[in-house]
Amino acid sequence: MSNPSPIEKIKKESDGLRGTITGSLKEEITGSISDDDQAVIKFHGMYQQDDRDRRDERAEKKLERLYSFMIRLRLPGGFLTSDQWIATHHIAGDYSTGVIKITTRQTVQLHGLLKSKIKPTIQAFSQAKLDSIATCGDINRNVVCSSHPKQSPVHEEVFRYADRISTMLMPKTRAYYEIWLDEEKIADKKDEEDPLYQDHYLPRKFKIAIAIPPNNDVDVFANDIGLIAVIEKGELKGFNIAVGGGLSTTHGNPATYARLGTVIGFTGSEEKTLKAIYEILTIQRDHGNRSDRKLARLKYTLDQYGVDWFREELERRIGFPLEKPKPYQFTERTDYFGWQKSDDGSWHYTVFVENGRVLDDEKLSLKTALLEAAKTGKVNFRFTCNQNVILADIKEDDKQQINNILEQFNILKHTEGSSVIRKNSMACVALNTCPLALAEGQRYLPELITKIEPLLQKHNLSNDDIIIRMTGCPNGCARPYVAEIGFVGTAYGRYNMHLGGDHEGERLNKIYKEQLDEAAILEELDGLFSVYSLERRTGESFGDFSVRKQWIN
Amino acid sequence: MLLQNKLKTFLELIGASTNEELIWMNGYLSGIVSKNHEPKPVVSGNQLAGKITIAYGTETGHSKKLAAEFAAKAKKHGIQAKLVSLDQYKTTDLSKENYFLTIISTHGEGEPPAAAKKFYDHIHQNGFRLEKLKYGVLALGDTAYPLFCKAGEDVDSQLHKLGGQRIVALQKCDVDYETEAGDWFNEVLSKLSGNAETAGRTLPATIPAKRTSGKTIYKGRVLSNINLNDRGSDKQTHHIEIAAEGVSYLPGDSLGVVPGNPTGVTEAVIALGGVPHDKVITYRNESFSLFNLLKKKLNIQHLPGRVIQQYSAIVQQDIPSTRMGLYDLLKIYPVNGPAQFEEVISILEPITPRLYSISSSPDAHEGEVHLTVARDTFTVNEELKHGLCSDYLCCLPVDSVFDFYIHKNDQFRLPDDDTSIIMIGPGTGVAPFRSFITHRDATGASGRNWLFFGDRHFTSDFLYQTEMQNWVQTGVLTKINLAFSRDQSEKIYVQHKMLEHGAEIYDWLSSGARVYVCGAKEPMSTDVEHTLLAIIKQHGKHNIGQAEAYLEELKAEGRYLKDVY
Ligand code: SRM
Ligand SMILES: Cc1cc2nc3c(=O)[nH]c(=O)nc-3n(C[C@H](O)[C@H](O)[C@H](O)COP(=O)(O)OP(=O)(O)OC[C@H]3O[C@@H](n4cnc5c(N)ncnc54)[C@H](O)[C@@H]3O)c2cc1C
Ligand SMILES: Cc1cc2nc3c(=O)[nH]c(=O)nc-3n(C[C@H](O)[C@H](O)[C@H](O)COP(=O)(O)O)c2cc1C
Ligand code: SF4
Repeated sequence: MSNPSPIEKIKKESDGLRGTITGSLKEEITGSISDDDQAVIKFHGMYQQDDRDRRDERAEKKLERLYSFMIRLRLPGGFLTSDQWIATHHIAGDYSTGVIKITTRQTVQLHGLLKSKIKPTIQAFSQAKLDSIATCGDINRNVVCSSHPKQSPVHEEVFRYADRISTMLMPKTRAYYEIWLDEEKIADKKDEEDPLYQDHYLPRKFKIAIAIPPNNDVDVFANDIGLIAVIEKGELKGFNIAVGGGLSTTHGNPATYARLGTVIGFTGSEEKTLKAIYEILTIQRDHGNRSDRKLARLKYTLDQYGVDWFREELERRIGFPLEKPKPYQFTERTDYFGWQKSDDGSWHYTVFVENGRVLDDEKLSLKTALLEAAKTGKVNFRFTCNQNVILADIKEDDKQQINNILEQFNILKHTEGSSVIRKNSMACVALNTCPLALAEGQRYLPELITKIEPLLQKHNLSNDDIIIRMTGCPNGCARPYVAEIGFVGTAYGRYNMHLGGDHEGERLNKIYKEQLDEAAILEELDGLFSVYSLERRTGESFGDFSVRKQWIN
Repeated sequence: MLLQNKLKTFLELIGASTNEELIWMNGYLSGIVSKNHEPKPVVSGNQLAGKITIAYGTETGHSKKLAAEFAAKAKKHGIQAKLVSLDQYKTTDLSKENYFLTIISTHGEGEPPAAAKKFYDHIHQNGFRLEKLKYGVLALGDTAYPLFCKAGEDVDSQLHKLGGQRIVALQKCDVDYETEAGDWFNEVLSKLSGNAETAGRTLPATIPAKRTSGKTIYKGRVLSNINLNDRGSDKQTHHIEIAAEGVSYLPGDSLGVVPGNPTGVTEAVIALGGVPHDKVITYRNESFSLFNLLKKKLNIQHLPGRVIQQYSAIVQQDIPSTRMGLYDLLKIYPVNGPAQFEEVISILEPITPRLYSISSSPDAHEGEVHLTVARDTFTVNEELKHGLCSDYLCCLPVDSVFDFYIHKNDQFRLPDDDTSIIMIGPGTGVAPFRSFITHRDATGASGRNWLFFGDRHFTSDFLYQTEMQNWVQTGVLTKINLAFSRDQSEKIYVQHKMLEHGAEIYDWLSSGARVYVCGAKEPMSTDVEHTLLAIIKQHGKHNIGQAEAYLEELKAEGRYLKDVY
């Protein structure tokens, strides 16, 4: 293997993910931390960023970039109690920009923490029994799971897997507790020996999702490991296991590609499922590419060695054969907005949160509304992989009270009133915080949608739930490659337009036109919509239609 | 030919002298003849009872320089002269002095230099007499300031009140003081040598200063003018880069500007005065058009109490003793006509120059002067106002041209290249230290440099942050410690950071480092001094008395220097 990437050295020499973070925090003269520590701190769930809107102006003022940190919580299955939401609400206000960002992986991020505010933030989260361990870095990330309780009577049972998997795959080092929570340094380093990650962790980030058919709301095939719950007669039988999903590509690097997971088998018991997952990580640990980070995800390992080799190697490691995959079917990939009742008789209200940004603005006091709801102590918060939040597990008797709050703050009107297209769309964060952004994401999509809505009206498609997703670069954080219409930023104000993804997230889209600006985008869509509304077959989705029409090849 | 009595003494002297003595006298006399404009030297000590003391009170070094010259000159004339700075002077010695010469400047608003404060206050207490004291005062000042040579005047008249006798009249000097000062001292010398002509004759109390246009005025062109504070800061601190032909200065010097009055205010005042713009008015023997006089020369804003009093005398109305602008005065207590208005003009004072520490280095920024100007902001009954000069400077557009002069400060200079320095300069106090550090960077001086800086918020008020980061990287800045007062619930200031690093500060001091303090006089420089004392006490294992002595020692050695305002 050619020589390892610099990150590998940093991980090895990080002394169990401690690096020199404590020293970097003390450095008075800058708001940033050392380059190496920036790599290490990701494993603690944080990214160093800077306000990209302010770079030139600050440089002229002889001020360094406006450095701050983004923190991402570890929320297996995307669940918060009302008390935890209240805590998060206040922590966001006290230490960050105040905006609570619901991510496409079912957790929340706070942006704009100054170096000096990281410790108080983490300590406050810890008070609320929340942490940010391993939500970033070359390690297993936040484990996502179909979010809506009404999806299945066994939802709770499936949901608990997310937590078990997350716990099983946590790093053993106590660094997080020492650095941020002032825990005594452990005397004997043996106590934190890590048989899974050892001292070099994984070659790259690792993602796991659990889906409950027929809804693929988690985009299970976009993950390194996708678990598809198999439920028969209201009983959880086990999981089909898909491996090698991953979406990111790099402009101008043909070796990179988006890939959907391949179902390689089925495991029944919890013990077997967990073992299989564990060993899939060890295969990736031992065989993943550690020299080129662009080719280091499991999907490339899988294609390099072949699926059959992979299955055999896995069975060798787990010591039992995988069963043949059980049949499954996905028919939708959506959030159930508004009030829904689950079999256990409890109620759930899915709130539409545009691009996952929870804040109060002149139009809507969403943040206050959610705080009020939380204060009743009668709701749980469940985040969806479409960046929305479900006020969940509400007893029949409490429904009215919650409804009144939603009413009072216009949340009902906002959720029901927003167009189908808007509710189906997603954008990534991008500018001004994402260092990798080439174009706008969440700051721009809402405007664009506003300009697309009249086109749909014009071609009376307003009630079609076409899935539009936008990202500011080809990393694909809002999963645009599995959208019916995907916009992938190439330069400021310019996007590649992708078409042909299906409705269920089982087919990747392809590039239709490159480098379009807004005018070109709208002109293209106008044309495509008119053809679609005239020539589509009944029930034919826009994605399927684009393929049949061979708009992409 | 010698007069009888002189010849007699002369011959006696020759008779009583050895050969060597005669040869010496011969040489000495010829020496005198060759520069006979000089007063007669003292040949024997007998007319001159004992020795003279030359005590100076200086802020920026001029008085000290003169005092040193004079002491040397006195010695050359065989006069035993003790040279002392007024802050080192034991006031109890005053009663023992017989010839006491003071050279003292005026600062602030007619105040004595900080180093002369103790002495100044002492002689202003009553309850003691100085009958035996024979004294002379040389006052340095600047006619650009309303209270010209005030401190010198006070000292002179006060010593007189206490019973001292002038051996020379008070000499007040404007900015180029060399000739007048020289004459004054020659006068002193001739007195001491008991020179016949002047002996006995009663002196005028003061010799009027020749008004001089001593300052070299430069034309500065603004190259850039940026606010260093980020959005959301409650402060505005401008970094102004100025190009100036042939400007010459040293790190530690300041730039002086006389700000004009805003045209609006000037017009308004003229309107109320009822005298035409272009009427030529003579003010202190110079003629100007009324408009130019009011716009460029005279302070018409925030008039001091003394001017208000004179005004009320002229308009014959009683006015409460508050400071206010001329416009308001004229509005509330109107003049009875043009004549009275012109009378009012005559009592107005010149606009005082404002000084700004130069934050550039002649070696690093050739032909340029950089300033670090805080836009002074205050409220007058809920109305937000800005200081006259800082506002003027902060609003200067690029390429605009304005007049300035350099105010030298020999009391605030970099030491030898290999001496380490500790710089304490929060807020705009950082200005001269930017000059020091860039200078040491440019000249490759080997001494270590340690900076204490502070302001309100790290993200918005960290003046020159990226430059400081570079200095740390290149190593010219050995250490830097920062105090941002409002980033946490409890206030943290530079003195707290000094205390944290007390042991190391004491180490630096012990190995000969110098300490510089620049910025706000109150409360910063006092707090810093107390902290310095505490550090010396704790880490030098001294009692408070010893610590104070240690600090005095530092001052005496010129190793503890302040430029505060
Ligand atoms: C917040 C989020 C987008 C959102 O608006 O919700 C996000 C935001 C970022 N992603 Fe992502 N990614 C997010 C989901 C995804 C997804 C979607 C998914 O996982 O379902 C993908 C595509 C799937 C995949 O992994 O292939 C994704 C693929 C990436 C990549 C490309 C990874 C690769 O294999 O090359 C990067 C860049 C990298 O890792 O080098 C990246 C990097 C980033 C960073 C951290 C930029 C960075 O590395 O400095 C972005 C932070 C922006 C900011 O200021 O918050 N993000 N990122 C999502 C957080 C998920 C979470 O809670 O953990
Ligand atoms: C040696 C030295 C070095 C200096 N270096 C610097 C430096 O590097 N940077 C820097 O920014 N400053 C420096 N200063 C201070 C500077 O010289 C000025 O004093 C400062 O800029 C304020 O002057 P101004 O004309 O703006 O304010 P002024 O107009 O003189 O007002 C000063 C104060 O007077 C009061 N005042 C004025 N007008 C009114 C009114 N109408 N009503 C009520 N109150 C009023 C207010 O309290 C106001 O704050 C230095 C001073 C000295 C002596
Ligand atoms: C801040 C400041 C204030 C001054 N105020 C006065 C003043 O009120 N009256 C005056 O006659 N001269 C004033 N001057 C001028 C000084 O007295 C003059 O420059 C003198 O030469 C300084 O002598 P020194 O270096 O010994 O202190 C002031 C100078 C400065 C820097
Ligand atoms: S897709 Fe690109 S721009 Fe958008 S958040 Fe991810 S990395 Fe940033």
